Amino acid sequence: MFLTRSEYDRGVNTFSPEGRLFQVEYAIEAIKLGSTAIGICTSEGVVLAVEKRITSNLMEPTTIEKIVEVDKHIGCVVSGLMADSRTMVDRARVECQNHWFVYNERMSVESCAQAVSNLAIQFGDSDDDGAAMSRPFGVAILFAGIDEKGPQLYHMDPSGTFVEFEAKAIGSGSEGAQQSLQEMYHRSMTLSEAITAALTILKQVMEEKLSSTNVEVMTMTPKDLFHMFSKEQVEEALKLVAPLEQSRGDAVNRSESDHRVIQTKSSH
Amino acid sequence: MASVVPRPHYPDYSTAAPVNHHFSPYADNGGSIVAIAGDDYVVIGGDTRLSTGFQIYTRQQSKLFSLSKTTVLGCAGCWCDTLTLTRLLSARMQMYEQEHNKVMSTPAAAQMLSTVLYYKRFFPYYISNMLVGLDNDGKGCVYSYDPIGHCERSNYRAGGSAGALLQPLLDNQVGMKNMQNIKDESIPLERALAIIKDVFVSAAERDIYTGDGIHINIITKDGIKSDSFPLRKD
Repeated sequence: MFLTRSEYDRGVNTFSPEGRLFQVEYAIEAIKLGSTAIGICTSEGVVLAVEKRITSNLMEPTTIEKIVEVDKHIGCVVSGLMADSRTMVDRARVECQNHWFVYNERMSVESCAQAVSNLAIQFGDSDDDGAAMSRPFGVAILFAGIDEKGPQLYHMDPSGTFVEFEAKAIGSGSEGAQQSLQEMYHRSMTLSEAITAALTILKQVMEEKLSSTNVEVMTMTPKDLFHMFSKEQVEEALKLVAPLEQSRGDAVNRSESDHRVIQTKSSH
Repeated sequence: MASVVPRPHYPDYSTAAPVNHHFSPYADNGGSIVAIAGDDYVVIGGDTRLSTGFQIYTRQQSKLFSLSKTTVLGCAGCWCDTLTLTRLLSARMQMYEQEHNKVMSTPAAAQMLSTVLYYKRFFPYYISNMLVGLDNDGKGCVYSYDPIGHCERSNYRAGGSAGALLQPLLDNQVGMKNMQNIKDESIPLERALAIIKDVFVSAAERDIYTGDGIHINIITKDGIKSDSFPLRKD
């Protein structure tokens, strides 16, 4: 596939003759090693759900934070290199607060995504222009937020491209999950239906057994804004998830791409 | 008893007496602004005299600047600062529109003006600002500022050279202050227009920096309408 890559995948800002930036494409590949995250946008609000990979039983599961608050009205879930995501979330938070400081209003979800995108593309070989990042971020983000346009879901990849979605899956199980979302999603979905759908799909694509310790769930609603589910609330939500063999999403054949290489798990 | 020892004088080491350099970067070009807000409208008027001391630069300079279809800024004070500030603000309005794909609301513009002014905390724009428009609910609003960015929202306000002269008049005629048995309701647009014209006639009578004429902007959900009215020219 990458016949000429030995020449053109060194410099992060060097186009290959076919017009590709290999390092950016590799960064997008890095997301496919990350844990699966799902976002569904309904008219009542947005739900984000993500698997947490507990690689050791000596690990403290609550310290894995993949869903974070950006502002009261914007939250996001990240998949990929968690350390990179901290920088991006930090920028999102700063931009939201700055917008509030200058304009005394909530930043729109799209503007927040745009602000993070501006950071994401500031990679380069030279650092004399102040761009200190030597490589693209290895992170995909789903932004869930409420603004004057109502509930919204945005997806951003390491190239800085951001697109609004009604439902989107990122991470290792994203191919299968996106296919299931395609089948399950409809515009008149309620928020609780969306929560159940997200968890059902997550259950299908996860290797470990889905439980209240290895999943994070967040809702973004006009009334409560950013709301992280407690362990009890996750357990409550999991009760509505159908057992794997009965759930309709099981009809989706789990393609080869869903079966991950186990040794890649520990680092992401 | 301590005696004062006279300081010896060494001509080679003496310097000239300190010279006091005066730096006066500001001009006061006068002018007054009055604004009254109602439930679904806001009116702002500014006189059209631009002066410096006893001289008049022009008798027909509007001091109102529309920042958007629902926001107008009135400026009185140092005219060169006004020119710079209004150009900066219209640039910021355009940048906001392109960055966020929407027109800046009046409350957002009001907060932005406050921060813009405060960023020049130690070399301020010497302007009495008054920002008016419709808020996110379509209600009229008046924001008044001091030169370093303190911002206050109210329903009526007078500012500029005759500000102190006119504010008590508005308190009486619009705010109905210290009166008993009065209904707490906002005044209709026609009454607000009549009051603005009347108070400017009064200001032109006593304030030499206010006169010649007034330029009025009436902001409703349908847009901005202009009006003008002559004042005494002496």
